[in-house]
Amino acid sequence: MRTLLTIARKDFTVILRDKAAVLVMLAMPLALIFILGSALGGIEESDTIDAKVAIVDLDTGETGGLFVDGLTGSEEIGELFRIEVRDDADAVRTDVEKGDLTAALIIPTDLTDRIAAGEPVALEVLQDPGSRVTAGVWAGVVRAAVSAASAQIVYGRALAEELDIAVGVPPSLRGEDPTPPIGPAPVPPSSTPITYPPYEPTLDIVTVEEVEATIGIRVSMISYYAAGMTGMFLLFGSMFGAFAFLKERREQTLARVMSTPASRVAIVGGKALGVFMLGAGQFFVLLIGTGMLFGVRWGEQIGATVALGLAEVFAAAGLAMTLAALGKSERAVGGIGPALIIFFAATGGSMLPIEMLPSWLKPLQVISPVWWTVDGFLDVMTGAGFVDVLGPIAAVLGIGAVLLAFGIWRLEYR
Amino acid sequence: MSTIVEVRDLSKRFGDLVAVDGVSFSIEQGEIYGLLGPNGAGKTTTISMISCLLTPNEGSITVNGHAAATDARAVKAALGVVPQEIALYPTLTAAENLAFWGRMYGLGGAELKHAVDGALELAGLEDRAKERIETYSGGMKRRINIAAGVLHTPKVLLMDEPTVGIDPQSRNHILETVKRLNSSGMTVLYTSHYMEEVEYLCDRIAIMDHGKIIAEGTLNELRDVVGGMDVVTVKVDGLADETLQTARGIPGIEQLDRTDDELQALTRSSGSILGALVSTLESAGAHVTSVSVREPDLESVFLHLTGKSLRD
Repeated sequence: MRTLLTIARKDFTVILRDKAAVLVMLAMPLALIFILGSALGGIEESDTIDAKVAIVDLDTGETGGLFVDGLTGSEEIGELFRIEVRDDADAVRTDVEKGDLTAALIIPTDLTDRIAAGEPVALEVLQDPGSRVTAGVWAGVVRAAVSAASAQIVYGRALAEELDIAVGVPPSLRGEDPTPPIGPAPVPPSSTPITYPPYEPTLDIVTVEEVEATIGIRVSMISYYAAGMTGMFLLFGSMFGAFAFLKERREQTLARVMSTPASRVAIVGGKALGVFMLGAGQFFVLLIGTGMLFGVRWGEQIGATVALGLAEVFAAAGLAMTLAALGKSERAVGGIGPALIIFFAATGGSMLPIEMLPSWLKPLQVISPVWWTVDGFLDVMTGAGFVDVLGPIAAVLGIGAVLLAFGIWRLEYR
Repeated sequence: MSTIVEVRDLSKRFGDLVAVDGVSFSIEQGEIYGLLGPNGAGKTTTISMISCLLTPNEGSITVNGHAAATDARAVKAALGVVPQEIALYPTLTAAENLAFWGRMYGLGGAELKHAVDGALELAGLEDRAKERIETYSGGMKRRINIAAGVLHTPKVLLMDEPTVGIDPQSRNHILETVKRLNSSGMTVLYTSHYMEEVEYLCDRIAIMDHGKIIAEGTLNELRDVVGGMDVVTVKVDGLADETLQTARGIPGIEQLDRTDDELQALTRSSGSILGALVSTLESAGAHVTSVSVREPDLESVFLHLTGKSLRD
């Protein structure tokens, strides 16, 4: 064991002193995460402008229509949100859950009736937890609309009673029509003194109920690419491990190591452990670095994320031995290694979001440690716990064990 | 003295190539044993089998009482290996390299530190211990290469062409280091194709060619192979092959071989053949530029036994 650790520590130090290795393993993933995340989705909540929301007016009366007109008719609101008026509440709920809509307003069927009856009634604002800030802004807009409507109705009733003029009161509340849309309350002529009657505001009984979608939580693109690039670049450690092995064989240091009393198991194990230590260090730097630099949230269950990452690092150690066995020279590994890693990364969703990948790739994904890892990372980011990712962890460890066994079997030491 | 290395009927084949062919020798504790031969003679393959890096096709090896075939780990523990290549990690410092090799032989703690300091002192590089190997000259690398093989104080040190490609100053340092190690009781198996080194260092010498030992003994015993003959060396320009054949017929010349523009003749009567040889060459149109006569050395022994120079 002591010999194994000696070899691992030496390999770790030697690879760490290789500037190219450090550049590829740390600087490149951080740069790519930033570039891809920024280009495709912006950093964290920068997508709050021009978010897509929907309104579903189920009200059988006409008050719901006032809200719809008020919200869709405002230029200021239109600059912040792209509003769709839709009919199917279930479809809208699904779209929010999937993240296709940032938020939605569902106006209940009995809004007008309940207001008329003086009974409490709630407007439902659905929110995508992946875009909490944007959805929160939408809820605020809905509340403001309710307040404006309330003021308008109160003002209208006052005028109707005192001047016998109906202004701004919904027909269902007054028995007359038409009613102007909700908006800023009309300012009465300055010459007309206003005396507000002691009525309770009618729409105080209307509340806004914010509902957070419980499934389909989205992660920002920067977080997605943090997972994707980490999944891919953890495998690059294998290349440097294979390079180190082949360089040792070429420069005869491996032969010298073999001439010591160290067992072959200790030598190969030490080399694999060296790659593991390197990958583990790389993983923790990326984990902390993406959090600090880009605000990436890796999820509440950080233990599950760490377990996934270390499982992939183990697979990288196995891949290092396989690459060293397959490539007879460093040049050969320089060709085989990136090709294999990019294949794993492409099928694993490092380059494009997993849901965008064609269905014919799915059978290939099961052999990609990147896919299992990235999928697991994303699950943890969206609320999964350790138990939920035990399957992906086991799969990655299994792939790593197969790669390690193959490498040990086929390695040439001279 | 007791035998510490015993090699019997050792053979190694790589496909159709017989690299080592039935080699046998033994090394006594405390001696420096030399394997002399040209490149490709089988010296490195023999050392690789003794250090358990290669498995022989036939034969047996025993080191310090342990058979390589059955107890390789004990054999390796008794050995220190200085390979022909500079087998060090360029991006590690000299001290880091030495500490690594020390740990590989089970050293640790104060014992390791003491060994590393001693090895650096042996190499004469204490003041550059914290510099990376990649910044060293070739000779300095060679010295650390040797230090890495001896810091665990092995019973037997295997040195495979340790002076290849270095400057005379570093070569002298290495030769003195080998003497110093041997005087401290370390047994050394030294391979080289430089006869001067082997003559200077070794108590006993085996001459190898084409995978076989063609002669073995002390320096004097080997010199006796050529039986008191002298070596006459003639440097000549414009020598034709027919002239060489003519010269070989001069009475008193036992053997005459050519290497580029140099002729080497083995003779028991150098005084009488010298004039005849020069006049034969000059009359055939060749131009003799220098003539020398010396006592036989390992070069002449090799020439006598194989009909070719060690440098061929």
